[in-house]
Amino acid sequence: MIDADERAAMEATVRRAIADALEVAGEAADIDAALAELDWLGMLEDEPDAAIDIVFSALGATNATATALDDVMASALGREPRADLAVLLPRFAAWDPPGRIDADELAAQGLATGRADGAGEMLVVFGSESEPWSVVVPATAAEVTAVRGVDPDAGLRVVRVRGRAVGATRLEPAAWQSAVARGRRAVAHEIAGASRTMLELARTHALTRVQFGGPIARFQAVRHRLAEALVAVEALEAALAAARDEPNPDTAALAKAIAGRTAHTVARHCQQVLAGIGFTTEHSFQRFLKRTLALEGIFGSADAIVLEVGRRLLATRHVPTLIEL
Amino acid sequence: MSSSQSSSRLPDPTSPLADYRETLRAWLDANHEALAPRYDPPGSLDDRIAQMQRVKAILFDAGWMQFGWPERVGGRGGPPMLRTELGAALAARDLTDPGLFSLIEVLAPTLIDFAPPELAAEVVPRLLSGAELWCQGFSEPDSGSDLASLRCYAVPEGGDAGTASTWVINGQKVWTSLAQFSDRCVLLTRTGPVDSRHRGITAFFVDMDTPGIRVAPLAMINGELEFAEVFFDDVAVPAERMLGELHGGWAVAMSILPYERSSCFWQRIAYLYRRLQRLVDAAPDDDRAAETVGDAFVSLFALRARSRATQRRLAETGAIGAETSIDKVLVATAEQTTYDAVRRLLPGLIELDDGATGEVWRSEYLYSRAATIYGGTAEVQRNIIARRLLELGSDE
Repeated sequence: MIDADERAAMEATVRRAIADALEVAGEAADIDAALAELDWLGMLEDEPDAAIDIVFSALGATNATATALDDVMASALGREPRADLAVLLPRFAAWDPPGRIDADELAAQGLATGRADGAGEMLVVFGSESEPWSVVVPATAAEVTAVRGVDPDAGLRVVRVRGRAVGATRLEPAAWQSAVARGRRAVAHEIAGASRTMLELARTHALTRVQFGGPIARFQAVRHRLAEALVAVEALEAALAAARDEPNPDTAALAKAIAGRTAHTVARHCQQVLAGIGFTTEHSFQRFLKRTLALEGIFGSADAIVLEVGRRLLATRHVPTLIEL
Repeated sequence: MSSSQSSSRLPDPTSPLADYRETLRAWLDANHEALAPRYDPPGSLDDRIAQMQRVKAILFDAGWMQFGWPERVGGRGGPPMLRTELGAALAARDLTDPGLFSLIEVLAPTLIDFAPPELAAEVVPRLLSGAELWCQGFSEPDSGSDLASLRCYAVPEGGDAGTASTWVINGQKVWTSLAQFSDRCVLLTRTGPVDSRHRGITAFFVDMDTPGIRVAPLAMINGELEFAEVFFDDVAVPAERMLGELHGGWAVAMSILPYERSSCFWQRIAYLYRRLQRLVDAAPDDDRAAETVGDAFVSLFALRARSRATQRRLAETGAIGAETSIDKVLVATAEQTTYDAVRRLLPGLIELDDGATGEVWRSEYLYSRAATIYGGTAEVQRNIIARRLLELGSDE
């Protein structure tokens, strides 16, 4: 485990590298290259929890687009992550394995990062949540369609795979759920980073926007909206810290659900405080709002997870506390 | 059970928290019959207070109440988190009401930190063992959120604060929980000029049987007489009962915050998990119920994660401050979300059921409406968050 100082240093390095890349090349910045230079894969192997936390928070906070989620999923599924290996993610708002076997043929459909465009191979998990299999298929088996959607800069792809599951391996029963837990934590960190930035943008606006003879930050209605947003962000960060200390599918699912709720709360209050300017593409707020809308659906939306969690509480008639002091 | 038998199995106060927790929980489970209430829930407030004092006496006799308290007041030492674990374990088993039990956390530390050492050594064990009950006289009819405006006066007899052996108190307190049951009161008084605000407040430790004190219980929204008005009419208090410095009462009042926002909250959280468990036991098995209990569960997890982080920071750094206004907002929100879920999923129970189950849920539901009011209103918390945490500047 790394200590707090090492962690802070890592965080600063990653943030600086991403900021530098964005400053030089803007939206065309190759964030994956910047991460590779920082030895992201080495970090992921040595300290996966800290690496995911730091890198995805930074990506969210800066609205940078990378394909690091493929590496997180590949390594969680027991494969050596590499730039040439894309991973098929579940469909939007879902988290079951994206593939199934239909008359001896592999049929899969889901989302992917931009890595799906150029990677030579794609890792596909198929079967059920409790009996997952994985297979690596050649790029030629995947039909990749770029999605514009609400956030064209998010780089999401819709992918259909058809082919034979040659060399498929049966995974441990818990492997898919563990991988989803990792992925959920990564995406939740990205949402947390974006939420922090939305709040900071609205805070800056409240302090600098002058109306009725002074900054609007002096109005209690504005202050309370921003306070509400901070409560949500801090609760999310605490949930993520707990999910890192007690890593399991339950804590990760809750953190992801809280991330979705938080993004909604923060965006609603911050957009209202930003008022007219937050409604334009001149202000950067909209990029963070759109990114959180896109990220919300990866590995399940808050509503879907809450429903699933609630069903389990009722099925078992048991409320677990999950974390201790 | 004899205390000698029990203490042989007590953990070392310096042992890892997880080991302590496990031993404590096993002991509570093994002794459940002796600890469980002797009445059918909900019981009257008198029943519940008697239950709490009985539980404290058993735990004190067995040695558990002393964990986490300094040895100079009869404690066994060890970190305050040991107390938190005990309070939470009791709440999770419905053995005591955490709102009443956790008053220890906002009273005993005040004596330990601010009373003359011999006084603290004499009285703190009496609070812990259930021999006594104490209350906290802070709020006044015209001093709610604005505590620094309080005006219950304490005047030195003879006029000289430096030499007076007695102080005379006149005025009124309100919302004083358990005042009519209490043996003592930690009281904030005005000792400076009218407009001296937080610079002219002094704390006293007052015996509630002192002549001139009159307690008038107030019926809460759920019918309970948990809090009271307390009237002071020429009440004479010895000078050695002053807590902290003359005019140093604000520091005494503020010193409570870290305990209230750590241990008390963790006990409340344990209680709320227990309430959600009860709801999950009784809720229908459909998707509407799943969404509702899922929602409350998510709120409770976020709160628990936040409180855990706060307490770890307190343990590491010894200090927590304005950032705990976030914890306060989360605990109030989660509490109301939980009881709103009960009302939604068990229709008629709170509104119409005159059986024991209905009585319990109704009383607790109505009490939960105060979660955004007591201990600093939700609005005051948001003001603190805006000014101190977001640094949005003055709102004036």
